Amino acid sequence: MVKMNSKKAQMKIQQTAFMLIAITLFFVLVGVFFIGFKLSSLKEDVTSLEAKQAKLLVSKLANAPEFACGSAFSEKKSNCVDSDKVLMLMKDIDKYKDFWGVKDIKIRKIYPKLDRDIVCDTSNYPNCNIMNIIERGTIGTYEQNFVSLCRKEVVGDKPYDKCEVAILMVSYEKVK
Amino acid sequence: MEKKGFLDISFGWIFALIIGVFILFLAIFLSVKIIKIGGSQQGAEISKDIGIILDPLETGFEEGKTTILDLGIESKITNICEEDEEFGRQAIKTSQAVFGKQEGGDVEAESYNKYIFSENVLEGKTFYIFSKKFEFPFKVADLIFILPLEKNYCFIRAPEELTNTTRDLRLDNIIKADSSNDCPETSEKVCFDLRVSGCDTKVNLVLNYTEKNNKRLYFYEDSLMYATIFSSPEIYECQLKRLMKRVQSLAIIYEQKKSFVALKNCNSAIDFGLLISQTGSFNKTIDILAIANIKEGLESRNKFSQCSIW
Repeated sequence: MVKMNSKKAQMKIQQTAFMLIAITLFFVLVGVFFIGFKLSSLKEDVTSLEAKQAKLLVSKLANAPEFACGSAFSEKKSNCVDSDKVLMLMKDIDKYKDFWGVKDIKIRKIYPKLDRDIVCDTSNYPNCNIMNIIERGTIGTYEQNFVSLCRKEVVGDKPYDKCEVAILMVSYEKVK
Repeated sequence: MEKKGFLDISFGWIFALIIGVFILFLAIFLSVKIIKIGGSQQGAEISKDIGIILDPLETGFEEGKTTILDLGIESKITNICEEDEEFGRQAIKTSQAVFGKQEGGDVEAESYNKYIFSENVLEGKTFYIFSKKFEFPFKVADLIFILPLEKNYCFIRAPEELTNTTRDLRLDNIIKADSSNDCPETSEKVCFDLRVSGCDTKVNLVLNYTEKNNKRLYFYEDSLMYATIFSSPEIYECQLKRLMKRVQSLAIIYEQKKSFVALKNCNSAIDFGLLISQTGSFNKTIDILAIANIKEGLESRNKFSQCSIW
């Protein structure tokens, strides 16, 4: 009789244990699903914040002291980038790598148009059309803004201001 | 006869109860953790958002801009300034009241190109954010000021020009008064006349310093004067050091640009050497006055140069 009772009890314990394990597993699965859902929405939030930042930054970057023409070209211009200054900035760009909090910053001259893309450096400037200011080599999404790209030029021995049309591009990385 | 205990509970029930309690505690523990993580996530998102909405405050030709930040619920913004690294570091932490307790606030949103002047910790639902251009002598940055809407400042005997600026910036929490008795009780009293008593902050416009929390903070021109009034001394000293680092870096770029454009017959008699060395050794706020003399010299030279460098 005692043996029968103890067998019954053991069965009951086993049943309860299996039930509890099943409940725990169920909650763990729900938890994992919830965390996964949260994580994916978090990644979306990060990407949308990065995009928002790039969008707002690109509209104002031309006015940043490292880019802006200021009063260097006869009259004050808005959305104007001083390409002579940017070229000097590019010489010592390492310390500015994280300064604006974006992945890449580049300027592409669109008018007058060149036959092919030439990346600017001190040896070919100003006969080039792409200034890679911050370049990390990552594939990102670009936000862009039209700007005037101005520099000093000389005819004979007289300096003058030359402005061209360019696009200022800022890229951010999509979180996968 | 079978012997029965005081409580007739089988082992199965006891086992289920113990495990049940364990699961319940685990669930409560996880819920608390999730709420905390949610709070941190929300705090981090708000901090990042604040950082992002500061971008449009970058000025062009205008002197300043204002915007209102409404966080909806009682929030705490912590302003962090670090002067190390190349340009120093600016960070913000935000925490919000959840069931009367501040949650989040452990994740920082950092930036290197922003300079926020405020008290160390700001509390409130709505905040005024305004920016002022800082030129030294070329444009260096836009100084950003954050003030809680609920906190009033009483400017006692402030110059007309100054009150006009605060009016133009639509800063309604700045009140103009002739004596400290005319100020609201809870307001921070800022005196521009040293003969006035009962002041929290004293501004000396002749010797260019502000006395606050028993500290003397030197400034140069309007934007830095506002910075001394609206920020804690530690934040002001740190941000000023960061600004001087940026002045130095920009001066190096302009020095190189000067030589580069000189090849195109665009000559300038400006020498940035002294500005570069003086900003490099900047240590105390009083040093700003000596550097300001160099700045004024450069400014007039650039104005009368054949070629403007900035």
